[in-house]
Amino acid sequence: MNRAKRPLWLSGLGLATLLLFGTGAVLALTVSPPDVNQGELIRIMYAHVSVAWVCFLAVGISALFGGLYLWRGRAGHDAWAVASAEGALLFAALTIVGGMTYSKPTLGVYWTWDAKLTLTALLLALLVGYFIVRALIDDRERQGRVSAVIMLVVLASLPFNYLAAEWFRTLHPAKSINLDGSGVTMEPAFVRILLFNTAVAVLAFSYFLLERVRLGRLESARQDEAEREGPAGEAVHV
Amino acid sequence: MSDLVLVLAVAHRDARQELRSRAVTVATVFFSGITVVILSFALGPDPDDLRRAAPGILWVALAFAGVISAAQSYQNELAEGAFEQLLISPIPRAAIYVGKLLANWLTMFLLGLLLLAAIVILFDLPLGRGGPLLAATLASGTLGFSLIATFYAALTANLRARESLLPVLMFPVVVPVLLAAVRATETLLGPGQATGNPALAGPWLQLLVGFDLAYLVVCTAIFHFVVEE
Repeated sequence: MNRAKRPLWLSGLGLATLLLFGTGAVLALTVSPPDVNQGELIRIMYAHVSVAWVCFLAVGISALFGGLYLWRGRAGHDAWAVASAEGALLFAALTIVGGMTYSKPTLGVYWTWDAKLTLTALLLALLVGYFIVRALIDDRERQGRVSAVIMLVVLASLPFNYLAAEWFRTLHPAKSINLDGSGVTMEPAFVRILLFNTAVAVLAFSYFLLERVRLGRLESARQDEAEREGPAGEAVHV
Repeated sequence: MSDLVLVLAVAHRDARQELRSRAVTVATVFFSGITVVILSFALGPDPDDLRRAAPGILWVALAFAGVISAAQSYQNELAEGAFEQLLISPIPRAAIYVGKLLANWLTMFLLGLLLLAAIVILFDLPLGRGGPLLAATLASGTLGFSLIATFYAALTANLRARESLLPVLMFPVVVPVLLAAVRATETLLGPGQATGNPALAGPWLQLLVGFDLAYLVVCTAIFHFVVEE
């Protein structure tokens, strides 16, 4: 079937992502000067911070499409929601790995109960729960509905988990970029490279997302076929 | 009928069911009691250590028992097909959720009072003047647990592996509740109380109330997607 072929533009996006990823790595590893306080460790920051931002972006996108699915009930929205959730899972795991890599040389231990890292660990657990529940439900309509509900709860849990984790104990390097717009306390050279790497991370996520949505569509088309051909009446509705 | 009447009717029905299945109630109470004992053994015999750990022990025992009791509240329903009857009846889904929530909350709150009394006696803790605030902490903390437990128990009620799935789903969400409740209890009970003051419990109580309000809105709004036929 022709539908199964990856469209050319998607392959192009993948290739462009790979090239830009290489550029970002060169910028972070060789072009960026060492930091006054953190020295060479600043190079971990480029990968870690960009990946962390994208992880939370992915949760937002997944919850958005989950909400759309609940509202409109279109299977396509569920495909986007689950694709984005998989991206969130991947980037959350990478964020934790990056955080631990950074934590060992600076604080002497791999795991600290730092607020943002704890928040990401909890998010990872929530996302794993999301996929366990998905795997346990056979009916596709119910699968999409329940997944969307869980993702909305996950989204709602983020501010509370962040607040709790921050009050619990925090060792994170002080915020250099305030998201509330009150300013940036980072050398412009660092900021530029960080933004470049963030753009690459967003691009990589977009590529994974589009590819996964494409696969998800093929998957459900295949399931539809199997349901039409195979013995009907097996699905158990609850 | 107004929605409030419906909510109370569902809550009354659930609470009565809870009380009638005495074996289950007794098992839940003793389960939480055993958890307290096991945690005390695990933490060692030093009375000072135990006094410091008492708030944590209280909330861990309460959290474990809360999960079991919430899951149980749907198991009774599913066994006899009662839940389907409830869904067929012209009661709004939100009212079913809030009703079941009230029943679960009441159960957990009473269990909390019982455990609190047991821990105060077992660990020889001074209760002091923090009584009303302690009751507020217990009420808002157990409400936070019940909100999530009632919601997710409905979601997992007819899935395989629900026994381990429910805690996996709900504990990462209730971490702020556990944390805030333990910290607030710490300032009101035990050795911390001698030095600290109840005003320290303020921010934690605010976090608990904020959590409760936010999830009351979120869970009530989307509950009908969980139990949709």
